[in-house]
Amino acid sequence: MKVVGQGLPRVEILEKVTGESVFGADVRLAAPILIGKILGSPHAHARIKSIDARKAERLPGVKAVVTAQDLPPVKYGRFVRDEEYFAHKKVRLVGDKIAAVAAIDEETAEEAIKLIKVEYEVLPHFTDGVEAMREGAALIHEEYDQYQALSMVEGRKGNICYHKQTVQGDTNRGFQEAERIFEHSFYAPMVHQTYIEPHAVLARVDASGKATVWVPTQAQFFIRASIAEIFQLPLIKVRVIPTEIGGGFGGKMLPTIEPAAVALARKSGMAVQIVMSRAEDFQVANPRTPCHLRYKTGVKLDGTIMAREVELVFGTGAYCGNGLVICQRAEMLASGPYRIPNVKIDLFCAYTNHANCGPYRAPSGPQISFASESQIDIIARELNLDPVEMRLKNAIEEGDTTPACGGPLKSVHAKETLLKAAEAAGWKERRREKNRGRGIALGYWLVGGMASSAGVKLNEDGTATVMTGVIDLSGTVTSLGQIVAEVLGVELDDVHVRTADSDFAPHSTISAGSQALRSMGSATKWAAEEVKKQIMEVAADKLEAEVSDLVVEGKRVYVKGSPERGLSLGQVGQLSLTHKRGPIVSIQSVSIFPNQPAISAHVTDVEVNPETGAVKVLRYVAAQDVGTAINPLSVMGQVQGAVIQGLGQALTEECIFQNGRMINPTFLDYKIFSSLDAPRVEVHLVEHAAEDGPFGAKGIGEPSIIPVPAAVANAVYDAVGVRISDLPLTAEKILMAIQEKNKSG
Amino acid sequence: MARRTKRIRVTVNGERYEKEVSPSKSLLDFLRMDLNLTGTKEGCGEGECGACSIIMNGKLVDSCLILTVEADGQKIQTIEGISRHDRLHPLQKAFAEKGAAQCGYCTPGMIMAAKYLLDHNPSPTAEQVLKAIAGNLCRCTGYGSIVDAVLSAAKER
Ligand code: FES
Ligand code: FES
Repeated sequence: MKVVGQGLPRVEILEKVTGESVFGADVRLAAPILIGKILGSPHAHARIKSIDARKAERLPGVKAVVTAQDLPPVKYGRFVRDEEYFAHKKVRLVGDKIAAVAAIDEETAEEAIKLIKVEYEVLPHFTDGVEAMREGAALIHEEYDQYQALSMVEGRKGNICYHKQTVQGDTNRGFQEAERIFEHSFYAPMVHQTYIEPHAVLARVDASGKATVWVPTQAQFFIRASIAEIFQLPLIKVRVIPTEIGGGFGGKMLPTIEPAAVALARKSGMAVQIVMSRAEDFQVANPRTPCHLRYKTGVKLDGTIMAREVELVFGTGAYCGNGLVICQRAEMLASGPYRIPNVKIDLFCAYTNHANCGPYRAPSGPQISFASESQIDIIARELNLDPVEMRLKNAIEEGDTTPACGGPLKSVHAKETLLKAAEAAGWKERRREKNRGRGIALGYWLVGGMASSAGVKLNEDGTATVMTGVIDLSGTVTSLGQIVAEVLGVELDDVHVRTADSDFAPHSTISAGSQALRSMGSATKWAAEEVKKQIMEVAADKLEAEVSDLVVEGKRVYVKGSPERGLSLGQVGQLSLTHKRGPIVSIQSVSIFPNQPAISAHVTDVEVNPETGAVKVLRYVAAQDVGTAINPLSVMGQVQGAVIQGLGQALTEECIFQNGRMINPTFLDYKIFSSLDAPRVEVHLVEHAAEDGPFGAKGIGEPSIIPVPAAVANAVYDAVGVRISDLPLTAEKILMAIQEKNKSG
Repeated sequence: MARRTKRIRVTVNGERYEKEVSPSKSLLDFLRMDLNLTGTKEGCGEGECGACSIIMNGKLVDSCLILTVEADGQKIQTIEGISRHDRLHPLQKAFAEKGAAQCGYCTPGMIMAAKYLLDHNPSPTAEQVLKAIAGNLCRCTGYGSIVDAVLSAAKER
């Protein structure tokens, strides 16, 4: 392969390094733009007694004030229709939207927000899923049983918005056959994606009533559908123009401020921009679901896992939102990348009074791996087994299944990935040093795929243009270009590929779940292959040759064995315009993809300061099964970035709530890794072309964050002999545990 | 509404501007809104992320923490001012080649911080680069590729 497999810079990189790229808050129009602000609830759970916005409306400079009355009375939600865009009866989280204003400048908008008077009757609130599920807890949605919900949403009752039990084999028998049984509980708190670009939107409604929305989103077609639903408009009356996106990590998929901007634009007749402050973004965007995890695992003394029971309680937030996506994922991942004959998984998704949790890079993955892989480590130590050996003994192989994975798994390289990490880290030849430790963990992810379509056209000069609506987070768009260049025998520079908007792009998958490249890449590759066929068809007529005798290569099409008997792609492009078949173009679609395992294995060395409990990450080795790396530069970048993001989740990050309000919504108090905290990440790829996926590529972005918290927790234990079972592993917690241990030891 | 304004003069990327501004407007907003120089980004507005880094009178500053009126009479350089006539600054080239910009949102600020470093220390060590960008948060890259880019740009210059 010539272009696929090259670590080429991203196609849009020059705009990025020069500051030319247009992000969400950078859109400018010829017409003036109003500034929009949202009034959010100060209470986590309260009944609204009255809303009075008259004073705000009268403030000079205010052009529109909108409340629930300005929208059709629509309840929406992907799984459960439990959400109304503006609250009018009840608020269910701090920041629940009540009204929005648009004014000539920010100061006026802020003043107007303060003039809106709302009377509340405060109700008891829950920010913890287990508490919300208790018998007799105040209901967050009293009328939950009247909501419409998809039939797959099982077990709705009170504050439980989903409960599902999955069984494989017979765990009772499995535990009987086991020689040791281990039970542990873990907790992973809410953490936030903290993309550096806060949510931002610009909306305009034209004279025909069509709304145009510029927004950095991972899911332009989903945002379009959501806006259309909230305003009861046909899809062609909403145009979403995705801007460059300053990071998403799952947090920019659900509608947040977009409908408010549209409502304000419609009412004021002007363009309206809303940009979230960092604090608002922390408080109301869609963070990672906090999770209580219980693992019960039965093993033989040789380490063979006989049975595993898992109970997970997710606190999903005030509305179901994408909560079920996280649960569906958890169902697949909960028992780990292991061959276990008897498994039972209980999943609970509880309403809680905080932001709707959404997908965050590998939804449920790091929480599950933290619990599951911490416990595997505990078991290995108890049984005097090497943690690598214990995992090797149980790891899945080709043709194995895990719960809800959808059939025998193909392209499984768990053991090789594990061994690669262990070998690269020098697992066997380590020297023991005081307060230093080493930990290993496996990450399990299943890459699916989603309905996607993409087009390729050959231009009259032999260059090609890709028509896609996929959002570029991880370099996907560049990879699509590489795929097309490879198929058509041209260079990446001969291919134009950028994300088109919802009016012009064929339907594209969301950019999430590490499936965007697999889905879009497959559609794009087929379209490119179809274009190649058309090129040969046109050329065959001109060259008076058989199609089967033609070769497309080096920007030319020629007769096999006699390169001089050929045409340039430019000539073919020209010819096609007068040829009976017409312009060369193809749009192809894909929809169904079997789940594909993408395994990561991480080894880290840490040093724990016994006086303070602080952890320093000395070394980090990440191995990952990537199938084929279409663009190794992007792949490496994904893995490195994910590991550092995961280290934040392991060591420092946590959304802390008081009375339902996040009390640390700043970078000062919510500490993500800076350059001074971040170790160098050594990345090792396991490359075997996967059975399907374009050129054998697998998904990259999610697997690489999954094992991080567990690897760190295992290393900390190895260093100082304390086991922390709730994230993050802060210095205080570790120090307390060390002191505790010294007292009792 | 009539609000109090103040007339200021600034030089931005070599261009002289004279404008009426509100005394409470941040330099970041002034650059982005009044001059339409949107290359400089806002990530927090509180001096904690470095997305808004610019160079003012030879100093690296967070433009979100500076009032426009404080910039009166000053010389300012932003990301838009560091490449000349299609010629990329070596840092820009290196960031592109090393994969040091993924989403690209931190990139303008990051490049300004790196430029400030190289202006004062033309051949830094990796440690020194890590220190120099400590006030610039990046959520995508994990920083390794950024360090590589800065070191390679230093060699180029
Ligand atoms: S926007 Fe200025 S430091 Fe974050
Ligand atoms: S490249 Fe995305 S924040 Fe740095």
